[in-house]
Amino acid sequence: MTEGQTPIEVPVAPPWKRDFPYQALSEEEVTRREFARYLVLGAGTFAVANVGIAAWTQLRTINTGEPRAILPLADVAVGEPHLFRYPGDADPAILVRLSDTDVVAFSQKCTHLGCVVYYEPDQQRWHCPCHEGNFEAQTGAVISGPPTRPLGRIDLEVRTDGMIWALGRHT
Amino acid sequence: MRTSERARRTSSAVVLYVIILVAFQVFLITVAVEAFQTDTESLAWATAAVSVTLFAAAAAFLRYLRP
Repeated sequence: MTEGQTPIEVPVAPPWKRDFPYQALSEEEVTRREFARYLVLGAGTFAVANVGIAAWTQLRTINTGEPRAILPLADVAVGEPHLFRYPGDADPAILVRLSDTDVVAFSQKCTHLGCVVYYEPDQQRWHCPCHEGNFEAQTGAVISGPPTRPLGRIDLEVRTDGMIWALGRHT
Repeated sequence: MRTSERARRTSSAVVLYVIILVAFQVFLITVAVEAFQTDTESLAWATAAVSVTLFAAAAAFLRYLRP
Protein backbone atom coordinates (compact mmCIF):
# COMPACT_ATOMS: atom_id res chain seq x y z
CA MET A 1 0.00 0.00 0.00
CA THR A 2 1.43 3.32 -1.03
CA GLU A 3 1.40 6.41 1.11
CA GLY A 4 -1.78 8.50 0.78
CA GLN A 5 -4.11 5.63 0.08
CA THR A 6 -6.80 4.88 2.64
CA PRO A 7 -6.94 1.30 3.88
CA ILE A 8 -9.86 -0.76 2.62
CA GLU A 9 -12.16 -1.92 5.42
CA VAL A 10 -12.89 -5.60 5.14
CA PRO A 11 -16.21 -6.45 6.80
CA VAL A 12 -15.72 -8.83 9.68
CA ALA A 13 -18.23 -11.67 9.83
CA PRO A 14 -19.88 -12.27 13.19
CA PRO A 15 -18.62 -15.31 15.14
CA TRP A 16 -21.79 -17.34 14.51
CA LYS A 17 -21.30 -16.81 10.77
CA ARG A 18 -17.80 -18.21 10.99
CA ASP A 19 -18.97 -21.19 13.03
CA PHE A 20 -21.92 -21.83 10.74
CA PRO A 21 -20.79 -20.73 7.31
CA TYR A 22 -23.91 -21.62 5.40
CA GLN A 23 -26.16 -19.24 3.60
CA ALA A 24 -29.70 -19.73 2.45
CA LEU A 25 -30.54 -19.17 -1.18
CA SER A 26 -32.64 -16.18 -0.30
CA GLU A 27 -32.35 -14.77 3.16
CA GLU A 28 -35.41 -12.63 3.33
CA GLU A 29 -36.19 -10.11 5.96
CA VAL A 30 -39.70 -9.44 7.16
CA THR A 31 -40.18 -5.73 7.38
CA ARG A 32 -42.06 -4.12 10.21
CA ARG A 33 -44.90 -3.27 7.87
CA GLU A 34 -45.16 -6.84 6.60
CA PHE A 35 -45.20 -8.13 10.16
CA ALA A 36 -47.98 -5.70 11.06
CA ARG A 37 -49.86 -6.73 7.93
CA TYR A 38 -49.75 -10.37 9.03
CA LEU A 39 -51.05 -9.34 12.42
CA VAL A 40 -53.89 -7.34 10.90
CA LEU A 41 -54.75 -10.32 8.69
CA GLY A 42 -54.85 -12.44 11.85
CA ALA A 43 -57.10 -9.88 13.51
CA GLY A 44 -59.38 -9.99 10.48
CA THR A 45 -59.55 -13.77 10.68
CA PHE A 46 -60.51 -13.55 14.35
CA ALA A 47 -63.15 -10.93 13.56
CA VAL A 48 -64.67 -13.14 10.86
CA ALA A 49 -64.62 -16.10 13.26
CA ASN A 50 -66.36 -14.03 15.94
CA VAL A 51 -69.09 -12.94 13.52
CA GLY A 52 -69.48 -16.56 12.40
CA ILE A 53 -69.84 -17.80 15.97
CA ALA A 54 -72.41 -15.10 16.69
CA ALA A 55 -74.39 -16.04 13.58
CA TRP A 56 -74.17 -19.72 14.52
CA THR A 57 -75.38 -18.95 18.04
CA GLN A 58 -78.30 -17.02 16.57
CA LEU A 59 -79.32 -19.51 13.91
CA ARG A 60 -78.83 -22.91 15.51
CA THR A 61 -81.81 -24.74 16.84
CA ILE A 62 -81.50 -26.29 20.24
CA ASN A 63 -83.16 -29.63 20.74
CA THR A 64 -85.45 -29.15 23.71
CA GLY A 65 -86.86 -32.62 23.31
CA GLU A 66 -90.06 -34.42 22.47
CA PRO A 67 -92.37 -35.90 25.11
CA ARG A 68 -91.03 -39.27 26.16
CA ALA A 69 -91.76 -41.80 28.90
CA ILE A 70 -88.91 -42.17 31.40
CA LEU A 71 -89.89 -44.77 34.01
CA PRO A 72 -92.76 -45.60 36.39
CA LEU A 73 -92.99 -43.38 39.46
CA ALA A 74 -93.20 -46.49 41.63
CA ASP A 75 -89.68 -47.46 40.57
CA VAL A 76 -88.14 -44.35 42.12
CA ALA A 77 -87.69 -44.19 45.88
CA VAL A 78 -87.91 -40.84 47.67
CA GLY A 79 -84.48 -39.20 47.70
CA GLU A 80 -83.12 -41.59 45.12
CA PRO A 81 -81.78 -40.20 41.85
CA HIS A 82 -82.32 -41.81 38.49
CA LEU A 83 -80.04 -41.18 35.55
CA PHE A 84 -81.40 -41.05 32.02
CA ARG A 85 -80.72 -39.39 28.66
CA TYR A 86 -82.82 -36.50 27.48
CA PRO A 87 -83.52 -34.99 24.98
CA GLY A 88 -80.85 -36.88 22.99
CA ASP A 89 -78.61 -39.83 23.71
CA ALA A 90 -75.70 -37.47 24.31
CA ASP A 91 -77.55 -35.40 26.91
CA PRO A 92 -77.22 -36.78 30.44
CA ALA A 93 -80.13 -35.97 32.70
CA ILE A 94 -80.96 -36.74 36.29
CA LEU A 95 -84.27 -37.21 37.99
CA VAL A 96 -84.98 -37.30 41.70
CA ARG A 97 -88.12 -37.93 43.71
CA LEU A 98 -88.15 -35.30 46.42
CA SER A 99 -91.37 -36.50 48.07
CA ASP A 100 -94.21 -38.90 47.38
CA THR A 101 -95.72 -36.58 44.81
CA ASP A 102 -92.85 -34.31 43.83
CA VAL A 103 -90.47 -35.38 41.08
CA VAL A 104 -87.96 -33.05 39.42
CA ALA A 105 -85.46 -33.57 36.63
CA PHE A 106 -82.58 -31.52 35.31
CA SER A 107 -79.87 -31.68 32.75
CA GLN A 108 -76.90 -33.25 34.48
CA LYS A 109 -74.49 -30.78 32.88
CA CYS A 110 -73.32 -28.06 35.23
CA THR A 111 -73.92 -24.64 33.69
CA HIS A 112 -70.41 -23.58 34.64
CA LEU A 113 -68.17 -25.84 32.56
CA GLY A 114 -70.31 -28.86 31.79
CA CYS A 115 -69.26 -31.32 34.51
CA VAL A 116 -71.96 -33.69 35.70
CA VAL A 117 -73.88 -32.76 38.83
CA TYR A 118 -74.97 -35.18 41.55
CA TYR A 119 -77.79 -35.10 44.02
CA GLU A 120 -76.90 -34.71 47.68
CA PRO A 121 -79.97 -35.83 49.65
CA ASP A 122 -78.64 -34.72 53.03
CA GLN A 123 -78.05 -31.19 51.76
CA GLN A 124 -81.10 -31.15 49.47
CA ARG A 125 -79.06 -29.79 46.59
CA TRP A 126 -77.37 -30.60 43.31
CA HIS A 127 -73.61 -30.58 43.64
CA CYS A 128 -70.95 -30.17 40.99
CA PRO A 129 -67.66 -31.63 42.30
CA CYS A 130 -65.47 -29.97 39.68
CA HIS A 131 -65.64 -26.43 41.06
CA GLU A 132 -67.94 -26.81 44.06
CA GLY A 133 -71.02 -25.43 42.37
CA ASN A 134 -74.31 -26.03 44.20
CA PHE A 135 -77.88 -25.79 42.94
CA GLU A 136 -81.19 -25.81 44.73
CA ALA A 137 -82.84 -29.23 44.53
CA GLN A 138 -86.36 -28.08 43.67
CA THR A 139 -85.67 -25.31 41.15
CA GLY A 140 -82.08 -25.84 40.06
CA ALA A 141 -81.24 -22.25 41.00
CA VAL A 142 -77.64 -21.46 41.88
CA ILE A 143 -76.91 -21.61 45.60
CA SER A 144 -73.16 -21.12 45.58
CA GLY A 145 -70.04 -21.61 43.49
CA PRO A 146 -68.96 -20.33 40.10
CA PRO A 147 -72.10 -21.13 38.04
CA THR A 148 -74.23 -18.12 37.18
CA ARG A 149 -77.17 -19.84 35.51
CA PRO A 150 -79.59 -22.44 36.89
CA LEU A 151 -79.53 -26.04 35.76
CA GLY A 152 -81.50 -26.84 32.62
CA ARG A 153 -84.85 -27.94 33.97
CA ILE A 154 -86.81 -30.77 32.35
CA ASP A 155 -90.56 -30.52 32.59
CA LEU A 156 -92.09 -33.71 33.95
CA GLU A 157 -95.58 -35.09 34.13
CA VAL A 158 -96.79 -38.10 36.07
CA ARG A 159 -99.60 -39.60 34.01
CA THR A 160 -102.56 -41.59 35.25
CA ASP A 161 -100.83 -44.89 34.57
CA GLY A 162 -98.07 -43.85 36.97
CA MET A 163 -95.48 -43.31 34.26
CA ILE A 164 -93.17 -40.29 34.44
CA TRP A 165 -92.98 -38.40 31.16
CA ALA A 166 -90.38 -35.84 30.15
CA LEU A 167 -92.12 -33.08 28.20
CA GLY A 168 -89.23 -30.83 27.23
CA ARG A 169 -86.07 -29.20 28.48
CA HIS A 170 -85.47 -25.57 29.29
CA THR A 171 -82.12 -24.20 28.05
CA MET B 1 -34.57 13.49 17.98
CA ARG B 2 -33.95 13.01 14.29
CA THR B 3 -36.90 12.49 11.99
CA SER B 4 -35.87 8.96 11.01
CA GLU B 5 -35.43 8.00 14.65
CA ARG B 6 -38.85 9.39 15.51
CA ALA B 7 -40.44 7.56 12.58
CA ARG B 8 -38.78 4.31 13.64
CA ARG B 9 -40.05 4.65 17.18
CA THR B 10 -43.53 5.57 15.97
CA SER B 11 -43.73 2.53 13.74
CA SER B 12 -42.52 0.33 16.61
CA ALA B 13 -45.27 1.74 18.80
CA VAL B 14 -47.84 1.12 16.09
CA VAL B 15 -46.72 -2.51 15.77
CA LEU B 16 -47.00 -2.84 19.54
CA TYR B 17 -50.56 -1.47 19.43
CA VAL B 18 -51.46 -3.95 16.71
CA ILE B 19 -49.99 -6.82 18.75
CA ILE B 20 -52.10 -5.78 21.73
CA LEU B 21 -55.22 -5.59 19.56
CA VAL B 22 -54.59 -9.07 18.17
CA ALA B 23 -54.04 -10.42 21.69
CA PHE B 24 -57.37 -8.89 22.66
CA GLN B 25 -58.94 -10.67 19.68
CA VAL B 26 -57.77 -14.01 21.11
CA PHE B 27 -59.54 -13.12 24.35
CA LEU B 28 -62.67 -12.17 22.42
CA ILE B 29 -62.80 -15.50 20.61
CA THR B 30 -62.88 -17.29 23.98
CA VAL B 31 -65.74 -15.02 25.07
CA ALA B 32 -67.58 -15.81 21.83
CA VAL B 33 -67.18 -19.55 22.33
CA GLU B 34 -68.45 -19.25 25.88
CA ALA B 35 -71.43 -17.24 24.62
CA PHE B 36 -72.06 -20.02 22.11
CA GLN B 37 -71.94 -22.68 24.80
CA THR B 38 -74.29 -20.78 27.07
CA ASP B 39 -76.51 -19.77 24.13
CA THR B 40 -76.21 -16.08 24.96
CA GLU B 41 -76.90 -14.44 21.63
CA SER B 42 -76.55 -10.86 22.86
CA LEU B 43 -73.08 -11.54 24.23
CA ALA B 44 -72.03 -13.30 21.04
CA TRP B 45 -73.09 -10.35 18.87
CA ALA B 46 -71.53 -7.81 21.22
CA THR B 47 -68.27 -9.76 21.08
CA ALA B 48 -68.43 -9.86 17.29
CA ALA B 49 -69.02 -6.10 17.14
CA VAL B 50 -66.03 -5.37 19.38
CA SER B 51 -63.91 -7.79 17.37
CA VAL B 52 -64.77 -6.11 14.07
CA THR B 53 -64.07 -2.70 15.62
CA LEU B 54 -60.67 -3.89 16.81
CA PHE B 55 -59.89 -5.24 13.37
CA ALA B 56 -60.80 -1.88 11.85
CA ALA B 57 -58.58 -0.14 14.39
CA ALA B 58 -55.69 -2.46 13.61
CA ALA B 59 -56.15 -1.86 9.88
CA ALA B 60 -56.22 1.89 10.49
CA PHE B 61 -53.01 1.71 12.51
CA LEU B 62 -51.37 -0.07 9.60
CA ARG B 63 -51.77 3.09 7.52
CA TYR B 64 -49.53 5.01 9.92
CA LEU B 65 -46.64 2.66 9.37
CA ARG B 66 -44.01 3.98 7.00
CA PRO B 67 -43.58 1.77 3.94
